[in-house]
Amino acid sequence: MSERDNILAAEFVSGLLDATQRSEAERRIAQDQDFARLVEQWRTRLSDLDQTAPALPPDAALWERIERQIGTQAQTAAATHGLMSRLWNSIEGLRAATAVSLASALVFAIIAGAALTYATREAFRKPVYVAVLVSDDTRQPGAVVNAFADGRVEMIPLAEINVPPGRALEIWTLWDRNVGPRSVGLIDRAQTVRLNLDKLPPTGPDQLFEITLEPAGGSPTGRPTGPVLFKGTTSRPL
Amino acid sequence: MDDQADDAQLTAALVRCAIGDRAALRVIFDAEAARMTGVAFRILRRRDLAEEAVQDAFLRIWRLARSFDPARGSARTWIYAVLRNRALTLLQDEARYPTSEGDGAWPEVSAEAAFALLPEKSALRRCLEQLDLKRRAAVILAYAHGMSHGELAGKLGVPLGTAKSWTRRGLLSLQECMG
Repeated sequence: MSERDNILAAEFVSGLLDATQRSEAERRIAQDQDFARLVEQWRTRLSDLDQTAPALPPDAALWERIERQIGTQAQTAAATHGLMSRLWNSIEGLRAATAVSLASALVFAIIAGAALTYATREAFRKPVYVAVLVSDDTRQPGAVVNAFADGRVEMIPLAEINVPPGRALEIWTLWDRNVGPRSVGLIDRAQTVRLNLDKLPPTGPDQLFEITLEPAGGSPTGRPTGPVLFKGTTSRPL
Repeated sequence: MDDQADDAQLTAALVRCAIGDRAALRVIFDAEAARMTGVAFRILRRRDLAEEAVQDAFLRIWRLARSFDPARGSARTWIYAVLRNRALTLLQDEARYPTSEGDGAWPEVSAEAAFALLPEKSALRRCLEQLDLKRRAAVILAYAHGMSHGELAGKLGVPLGTAKSWTRRGLLSLQECMG
């Protein structure tokens, strides 16, 4: 470590460099790992001072402005791979460092592991397509269909549906008029159900889902025969 | 320790931001935005600029979350580094187009106020305590209040070279003390 770099890192973190020196230091951080490490050490050393600043609750509109600017910017899944491998490398690095660090490495592994499990679960929790199925007559919503990135599709009813004895609710999807509607689920009363689209092409935008009233056991013809209770098409949530 | 639990939570939130989970950015906002506004305000001395810095910082946190590397430092340090960068950049932009208010005089600013608020158990506090008052003031006024060498010289009533040497020696003594 050169003493000059050390002082440069210290003054950079303390905000003592002028604009030119600052951008030069930023370039060094991006290109020179040793220098980046010095900067990180100085940040860690001085960081307690940030916690002495007064807490000033920002204007309520600030979050709205941030949210608006983020807009529909999506992060790519590929981006996480870099982070994942770094998390893994950092665990390895910690292990190799010293015997003493083993315990902290394990603690870190647990935290990082939990964070990733959570993150992955979250990724699949948000549907890639959503359809709200509404009644043609009343315009009331009766159910929501959620299609997830891993291919799962579920239907969640939003209202009680009156099913007479000897009848059942059948759920259909139509993605291609030439193929016609395909049955993807059969239930005897309104309940959340996982739809079976395993053999169909991946769910896309503007794909029709509908619920019809059919004989118990399902439509005898393989096509919808009863009245359409609710229908709607898929959209991509923001 | 609470700090570690908080930091694990911030680490998890950054990981979730990296995969595009906006609720995670909100978690960071709810936990840190008030303190971040305070940090930026101390540097910029204007509420509107402070909020601008915080807004910029959150957009960057969102975009750069994937570049956060937990092996290199804590999530909190990373978040505040992003914020401080934005605040210091705004400060430089403002200096280029100076307004009439607030130039030169820093009557209300006191290094000892920030020092007194450092937690008892803080290693930084213990080591700042060992510095003589002038060097301690120089380090704190630079880091917490964004003062330049020139402003430090004015505030502390010494030549520019002396202000430079006080901050340098102060920082190096801290490094020696903290390791």
